[in-house]
Amino acid sequence: MIEDVRRVVAERLEELDGVVALRRSSEGVAPHVFRKGDDLSELEIAPRYPLMTVVSRLHKAFPDIRLGIVARGCDERAFIEMAKREQVDPDRLFIIGLACTEEEAQECHCSAPFPQNLLVGTPPPPGSPNPMVADYDALSLEERRAFWQGQFVKCLKCYGCRNICPECFCEACAMEDAAWVEPGLLAPPFPVFHLIRGMHMASRCVACRQCELVCPAHIPLTVLYDLMRRDMETMLGYVPGADIEASPPLSVTLEQAPLCVTVEA
Amino acid sequence: MCVEFEPRIVAFMCNWCTYAGADSAGVARMESPANVLPIRVMCSGRVSPEMVLRAFRAGADGVLVMGCHIGDCHYSSGNHRTIKRVPLLRNLLGYAGIDPDRLRLAWVSAAEAPRFVQVTKEFTDTIRELGPLSQEVAG
Amino acid sequence: MEYKNVQTTCVYCGCGCGLYLEVVDGRITGVWPDKTHAVSQGKLCIKGWNVADFVYHPDRLKTPLIRKNGDLVESSWDEALSLIAERLGTIKAESGPNSLAFLSSAKCTNEENYLLQKFARAVIGTNNVDHCARL
Repeated sequence: MIEDVRRVVAERLEELDGVVALRRSSEGVAPHVFRKGDDLSELEIAPRYPLMTVVSRLHKAFPDIRLGIVARGCDERAFIEMAKREQVDPDRLFIIGLACTEEEAQECHCSAPFPQNLLVGTPPPPGSPNPMVADYDALSLEERRAFWQGQFVKCLKCYGCRNICPECFCEACAMEDAAWVEPGLLAPPFPVFHLIRGMHMASRCVACRQCELVCPAHIPLTVLYDLMRRDMETMLGYVPGADIEASPPLSVTLEQAPLCVTVEA
Repeated sequence: MCVEFEPRIVAFMCNWCTYAGADSAGVARMESPANVLPIRVMCSGRVSPEMVLRAFRAGADGVLVMGCHIGDCHYSSGNHRTIKRVPLLRNLLGYAGIDPDRLRLAWVSAAEAPRFVQVTKEFTDTIRELGPLSQEVAG
Repeated sequence: MEYKNVQTTCVYCGCGCGLYLEVVDGRITGVWPDKTHAVSQGKLCIKGWNVADFVYHPDRLKTPLIRKNGDLVESSWDEALSLIAERLGTIKAESGPNSLAFLSSAKCTNEENYLLQKFARAVIGTNNVDHCARL
């Protein structure tokens, strides 16, 4: 599969300024922008980094740059949500879609382990849902609270979850605002700190799992965000990353994005 | 000696509808629970999730978000955001193990002073039943 | 447009977490944790995430500063080093080596830290040596 990726990248580099992908060097594996003529034997597809963030930075810094990206399903979903929010320019990005393996899909509990613009690999079956999410409704309020208090007490407030997230691009972040999160407290106040992010992720989380991978305290953040994604679909019929034409429902009117459920007020 | 629990409730009220309705209730000498701390905002759509969460953290046992009925928003569609945001936040609170009934959305117009009284009384009773939000959550 | 990720080690604590500094056209634009690093395993603490903040910080010293008439004034390395040598020598002679102490930094290399403690012990003659990580 990797040879196919390298071949497609080589072909595309004929007309693109660069292709964003992972590069292996003697020092490890990191995001890179391959240019025409680069040694593509160094191109890798793992370990996963949120490569769309690189595209976003470069699109903003260089208004004329035309890039490609080796993108998995999650990268493409990130692209869709970022494009809606004008963080990447779809007219200057060519997606070289890469399917995940069955093992990778299962590791991420991914329901869409391949991009729509698929060019390399065959779509594997979706990963089965995280059992903790699937069985969540059976837990009592006390069980839930005890669980999350036990998890969030480990939080070191490194902001890794926020830093690595492709959808977190706000220059002024509510999680850093002393008005909402009292500074100087470790563990950060429960549940304010994490639920701010939980709400902000509702219409943005594309289930790339980078937040959970980067958390030094091994907090199962994706459980909370998967539950929010479930609500977004049930209540507003919205799946982040599915449709580039669908406006983020929380930002627009009821006419533009109606509720699918009745709300008592 | 046991002191009965009196809930502390923060109520975000939109300036044009609910706050006026509350004021109207006061002028008419209607009795509404003293447990409610009013916070006037220009529109219920202005109430962000972090405001609600901070209210809980600051010691509120319950939070009310009140505004104009759909179609009556002074800014046309500010409350459209509220009606989507609050149910989502209620669910998220539930996922974290905090009773979602501690957060309530209610539309109360400027002409609905009795409704203001009814909603605040009902909600105060609900929170009294639920009890104080644990010290572990409050700051 | 030149894009590269330069592998380096966090300068703060003794964990030595691996990270990449993202550099675009010679300017640091971000930090990526090193997912292949055996110790840090693709994770960083808040200091590691912000390790590059001091590089372009407006308060970062670019020249030595010497206090003259109560104000800190930009000077040259020659002037600063001459002043240091003269004052250290005088203080050591007047008040003894243990009236002097040396504080080093995690942002120096191991070799620089070695030199400083060697200077303190062998040249000045004091064991009063410490490091910012102990503070």
